[in-house]
Amino acid sequence: MNDETWLDCLDHELHAAGVSPENRASARVETEGFLQEAGGSALEHFGPPTTYASHLADALGGRSRPQRPRTAAPVVSVDGVSKSYRSRPVLNDVSLTVSPGDVVVLTGPNGAGKSTLLRIIAGLDRADRGQVTVEGAVGYVPQRGGVDPHLRPGEHFELFGAPLGLTRRQARSEGNRLARELGWDAAAAPVAGALSGGTAQKLAVVTALLRQPQTLLLDEPYQGMDADSQQRLWALLWAWQEGGGSAVVSSHASDALSKASTVVEIEGSTLR
Amino acid sequence: MLDPCVLALVGDDETYGYELAGRLGDAGLGPVKGGSLYPSLARLEKHGFLASQWRAGDGGPGRKYYTLTDRGRSELREQSRIWAAFASRVSSVLDVEVHP
Repeated sequence: MNDETWLDCLDHELHAAGVSPENRASARVETEGFLQEAGGSALEHFGPPTTYASHLADALGGRSRPQRPRTAAPVVSVDGVSKSYRSRPVLNDVSLTVSPGDVVVLTGPNGAGKSTLLRIIAGLDRADRGQVTVEGAVGYVPQRGGVDPHLRPGEHFELFGAPLGLTRRQARSEGNRLARELGWDAAAAPVAGALSGGTAQKLAVVTALLRQPQTLLLDEPYQGMDADSQQRLWALLWAWQEGGGSAVVSSHASDALSKASTVVEIEGSTLR
Repeated sequence: MLDPCVLALVGDDETYGYELAGRLGDAGLGPVKGGSLYPSLARLEKHGFLASQWRAGDGGPGRKYYTLTDRGRSELREQSRIWAAFASRVSSVLDVEVHP
C-alpha cells in the first residue's frame, strides 16, 4: 500500500470513529514526520490503517466502531478434502478453517489447486473426499468472468441487487459507492466487455459485495490491477474484516502475505 | 506498561515521537512501533500528563513536541511506586518457584 493511500484510509477511519478534524490532521502530520525520519512504509510502522485508527481513536476518546465478536464459530470449514481431475490429483487431504473477521490468503504456484479449492467452497465443484461446511452466504469472484460483457456496471448492480430486495436506485447507489472505495467511477463506465481486466475484476468484486455475503471468495483478484487499485482492494478488505466479514483470497503476489490474517500455502496438491 | 515508560523517557526534556521511539529502543524496550507509540502519546496528552507544541521540523512536516506536565510528574511517581511493589511481589514468588 503506498503511504498516501494508507494515510487517506487512516483519515477516513478516524473520521468514521468520530475523531475531530484537528486530531485527524495532527495524526496525519505526525505520522508523515515519523515516516520521513524512520524510513519504511506506514504499514510496516503502524500496521493496517483500520487497526491503527481504532487504537488511536480509543486513545483520543472518540467513538469506536462496534465490532462483531471474533470468537464466533468458523464460517468455513474444509476438512480433509481431496479432488482429482481425470485421475490427476489436484487437492490432497486439504483442511482449512475460516473464522469471522479472518482474511485467509491461499498461496502456491499455478496449478496447485487454489482455484479448485475456492470453487469447492463456493459449491460450484464437488470434492471427491472430505467435508466442506459453510455458514452464511458466500460471494465468489472467479479469476476471469463473473460479469456480463454486454451490460454496464449499473445494470450489473440492478441485476444482483434485485434478489436482495434492493430497488434499482438503491442497487446502483450502493454499487457505485463500493466502486468508489476501489477508486473506480462505475457510474461513468461503459459495458463490462469494454473494461480493462483490472476494472472488470473490480466490477466482479463489487457485485459479490452487494450480496452482503458472510465470506468473500476471491480468485486472484489482483489480475490486471495497478498498484493503487490493489491497495484500495486491501483497504476495502480490512474494512470488511473489521466488520466481521471474512474472505479467502488466492494470490501468488507475495505482498498479499503480509496483509492477511492467515496464510495457507498449497503446493504439489498438499497443504502445508 | 508503555505509558509510564514514555512518561519517564520524556523526563525533563522536550521530545517528539520519532526521537522518543529511539529512546525506548536505547532503553532496551524497543523497537516500539509508531502504531503503539502514538496512541500512547495521545492517551497521555488527553489525561493531561503530557503537553504538546507544534514546531517546524527540519525541512519536513511540522513536529509535535511533548513535555511532561506537573500532573504527568506525579503520575510517573505513582506508577513507579505501583510497579516497584508489583515487581517485588512477582520476584519473591518467582524466587520461591525457582528455588523450592
